[in-house]
Amino acid sequence: MEELVLQLKQQIIKTLNLEEITPDDIDPAAPLFGEGLGLDSIDALELIVMLEKYYGIRLSSPAQGKEIFKSIDTIAQYVQKNRTK
Amino acid sequence: MKIAIASAGILSAIGNNPQEVCTSLLNRQTGIGKTQYLRTRHTDLPVGEVKLSNDQMKAQLGLDPSQPVSRTTLMGALAVRQAVDESGLTLSGKRVVLICGTTVGGMDLTEEYYSQLLTGEREIGLLQYHDCGNSTDHIARILGIECETCTISTACSSSLNSIILGAEMLRRNEADIIIAGGSESLSRFHLNGFNTLMILDREQCRPFDATRAGLNLGEGAGFLVLVREDQCVNEPLGWIGGYCNSCDAFHQTASSDDGQGAYIAMVGALQMAGLKPSDIDYVNAHGTGTPNNDPSESTALRRIFGESLPPVSSTKSFTGHTTSASGSIESIICLIAMQHRIIPANLGFSQSDPDCIIPSNGNENVTLENVLCNSFGFGGNDSSLVISSRPVELHSTEKQFDCCIVADEVIDNAEQLKDYKDVISPLEARRMGKLQKASTMTAMRALSSAGVECPDAIITATKYGMLDTSIQFLDDMENNGESLLKPTLFMQSTHNTLGSAIAIRLKCHGYNTTYTQGDNAAEWALRDARRLIENGQAETVLVGIHDEQCPLFATYHHLMQQNVMDIYSRSIILTRK
Repeated sequence: MEELVLQLKQQIIKTLNLEEITPDDIDPAAPLFGEGLGLDSIDALELIVMLEKYYGIRLSSPAQGKEIFKSIDTIAQYVQKNRTK
Repeated sequence: MKIAIASAGILSAIGNNPQEVCTSLLNRQTGIGKTQYLRTRHTDLPVGEVKLSNDQMKAQLGLDPSQPVSRTTLMGALAVRQAVDESGLTLSGKRVVLICGTTVGGMDLTEEYYSQLLTGEREIGLLQYHDCGNSTDHIARILGIECETCTISTACSSSLNSIILGAEMLRRNEADIIIAGGSESLSRFHLNGFNTLMILDREQCRPFDATRAGLNLGEGAGFLVLVREDQCVNEPLGWIGGYCNSCDAFHQTASSDDGQGAYIAMVGALQMAGLKPSDIDYVNAHGTGTPNNDPSESTALRRIFGESLPPVSSTKSFTGHTTSASGSIESIICLIAMQHRIIPANLGFSQSDPDCIIPSNGNENVTLENVLCNSFGFGGNDSSLVISSRPVELHSTEKQFDCCIVADEVIDNAEQLKDYKDVISPLEARRMGKLQKASTMTAMRALSSAGVECPDAIITATKYGMLDTSIQFLDDMENNGESLLKPTLFMQSTHNTLGSAIAIRLKCHGYNTTYTQGDNAAEWALRDARRLIENGQAETVLVGIHDEQCPLFATYHHLMQQNVMDIYSRSIILTRK
């Protein structure tokens, strides 16, 4: 799980082009949207593409992302359970 | 002075002239269905296609079938020809201006030939058709119309802004005959782009319905011929009542909860027309059917009309969302509604949403004296137009003030971008290509040097917009087989992203538009800025002139022996003297 968390952090930094942020800067339990990293709806769409690209997970609507993208921890749990690659 | 709508020409999924469109509206017959002409793997996405192949359109225009002509140009030429023929006007010897709203421009040709352009199997000269301005020039050339040409790209409000510009030019006596509207072909590029934003419904769209799940893309062209009252030879279709362009200044792809941009645009149009909300007999809503647009527009409508909402419908349930062409196509639908005394239905509505207005199910034998047409675009470029069945006295505008340039900042090489962190935070930078960084830097410097916190208007000129990111999206689309595409790249590909991003940053709700008339875009932008200041409509205007290269286009420009800089961003502040 720890490995997946680190991998997700790296993938998110790359996907969202988060300059000046290192994996250590992201608290896996902290909110990604609004407060915390301050991401928005377009970032959520980017994360949906990321899940499909790296883990073969397809979400059909952005609304599904709301719960999944709460924090790195919630993404990691979802990926572990649903990944197809 | 009064501005008459002398005639109209239209191509859309529900008909290729006003009579056919009227019949479809009366029969409640949607034009949305499976793709017939667009080659895409997303065949599960319903679209509103114009039911003509490119070859059929070329034949109608007497063009050689082997000649590359973008679908945007073909549809535009047919609609312009209809409108001009119907007007009964003689164009020769008159000051004629053709104003076209488009964002796709020649993208359908570029995407068609992209891989062959890369391998050299196709001549790179084909890229001349790529930019929006070229498409407008091409329409004029095909029809042999001698005129000034102008192109506006404010995404989905482009063609309404064309009509607004045309009316302003008549008010200033800068032209005798205006042919204004827009044309937009479907393209794989923007179908995939909208798909990355996850706002396309897999079923027929249902604007304002509780179960709405997005929009269906459409295509088409709509053009109006506008003249001063004394120039009209036939009975006009209607009259320009009032109009307003505003910016929501909230988010690049989402409307604000309170619909502020839409509210300002509608209120401004009513004020200019000298009308009260109760004078409006019908509203043709922007009503895309996305979860975000419809409640935001509904809130704005409720703020204006309160409990006495006139009949409202979104005819995108018939035509699909014709994006840049929607403003002019829907203005023509308003004219048809007035003439035939009908309220077009809002198809697909069955279940009300407390956050949305309840749209009209259609009506007949109604008298429509004043109608309001809404057209909103990405970046919050929101415009509204009032059309009246009776002549409306508009103040002719004369030069009241002088204007002068008080700040001028330029970036002309990538090296100069290294200080971007002075004005752009890392979080903002995550979504900015180099041209957007440059435009933000020059804009902020110019504003600061002029001591202007928030200008009254933001006007942008660009031939290609963020070319590098657009071509990156196209490249991904070709390489990934229309999947795994990045929404950020698509969002950056619309030309008006540059100007609206600055409005969002400054929370500037004022007039906001983007000119894409090729190498003349800057001249049009400066002319507009001067017009606003001289007329007393603005005291300070930010004009941005921005373009960038990418490797493919660098090769093209080299071949054409055009010396184009890798990056060029200039921001100018004009003020009242």
